[in-house]
Amino acid sequence: MYRQGDILILPVAEADVPPSARALPPAPRDGRGRMVLALGEATGHAHALAAPGTLLRTSDPRTPDHLHLPSGGRLVHEEHAAISLPKGWYRVIRQREYVPGSVRVVAD
Amino acid sequence: MTTETVQSETVRSETARPAHFVVGDWQSAAFAAVPADRSRAEAGIAAAYAAAGLPAPERVLWVPSPLRGAVAAAVLAGHEKALRAAGTMDDRVDEALADLGEHADSARAGASVRDDVRTRPWETERAAAASGLGARGWPRAWADSGGLLWDQVQSLVTRVRNAVGAVAAPDPDAAIGAQDQAAALLRAATLDAVMGQHDAPWLALFESLGRLDGPLSGLAEVARNASWWWPYERLAICCERPTELYRDEPGRLHRGDGPALAYPDGFALHAWRGMPIPPDFVASLTDLTADRILHEDNAELRRVMLEIFGYDRYLADTGAKPVHQDETGVLWSIDLPDDEPVVMVEVVNSTPEPDGTYRTYYLRVPPATRTAREGVAWTFGVAEADYHPEKQT
Repeated sequence: MYRQGDILILPVAEADVPPSARALPPAPRDGRGRMVLALGEATGHAHALAAPGTLLRTSDPRTPDHLHLPSGGRLVHEEHAAISLPKGWYRVIRQREYVPGSVRVVAD
Repeated sequence: MTTETVQSETVRSETARPAHFVVGDWQSAAFAAVPADRSRAEAGIAAAYAAAGLPAPERVLWVPSPLRGAVAAAVLAGHEKALRAAGTMDDRVDEALADLGEHADSARAGASVRDDVRTRPWETERAAAASGLGARGWPRAWADSGGLLWDQVQSLVTRVRNAVGAVAAPDPDAAIGAQDQAAALLRAATLDAVMGQHDAPWLALFESLGRLDGPLSGLAEVARNASWWWPYERLAICCERPTELYRDEPGRLHRGDGPALAYPDGFALHAWRGMPIPPDFVASLTDLTADRILHEDNAELRRVMLEIFGYDRYLADTGAKPVHQDETGVLWSIDLPDDEPVVMVEVVNSTPEPDGTYRTYYLRVPPATRTAREGVAWTFGVAEADYHPEKQT
């Protein structure tokens, strides 16, 4: 389990990746060829990886994304120290905040 | 059996695109804040009438907001007197009569054909898709398409509906019987509309199943190009889309320096993270103090004030004491009269800023939270006992 600012990255067994996630098309990479796990709303800073792999994302920001890193990778962010991730599958969880009556996603 | 094989047996069209793209497109349509494409919308209206076996309406009346459309629909339903009795709607009723012109006579406009144009073909497609997909496939198809849009679209629709009613009964505390009745009639008139762009969740479902090429194609075309509309035998009332629409990341109406939703005639909603606020509310907060926040009676407005004021300032100004502290952070609680307490974890970034300090931030967590670790774990949706990052930066 790894945490970089407002995202938590949980290793998951390949068998535990839901078929609905596998059916998603890979999220497009950014202009620098990176997989962007989360973009800061206020700062434009990004949690990003340049490694080979696939990011699978639904259109609902509250649903965790899935990340496949066949040869591992280095997660970088402008404001946080980099984290080396071993190869494998991960669930990527955005931090959320309690709001009476609902829940909102945090973006730093 | 996988979702893919279930769908391939029941979709009508070979050209159905993956649900992911369909949902994205309908999400854009639902929240589009650009002028209606009137000629395409009118072609869609004519196609929807044709699919129902009806001649196209002789006239399409364009209105700039759902409010103006709802007033016209209520007048056509014979409620002119009841609206005027409210004492707040005379100008709006006169405007509707002018908009409708010779069609203000309900005999001239004809009866509502909403059931023929929308409800019946819709229900036929829905029933066919549901029986084809079965008891397990149907909810799954919905969850992968319309279900992703439903909450955000529906909460917007509910807000617009309530705001339409509030024009007749502007002060809920002082509302008199006639104003309540007029408000109810206006809200009911919005229920008689075809939802246009706000039918997006259902249209996303139908498109993901390849069912938009048939009898629903006209309805879909209107939805891509206009907002709510009211079909009658010889008249269609069709509403423009918003000119402004601002939402936060979870999709709630949110703006601090103007209306979060506005239509071309000025009909508008102000909101902070989905909470309705008066138009001048945020601007009125420049001299905010902790004392003024504590004495605000309206719990929703007080929450907005707290967010704008800053939790850290509020805690410092009121001399609050931490509830709990551990290696993940500090748990704070603010008691508020007639509201649940504001419980927050104060979290410190693991990576130092360039000047060597560590940035602190506050996240609100459920009021029942007992420890800082439980609070931080909750923000990531994991159990307290399972929250042990081996590395954090």
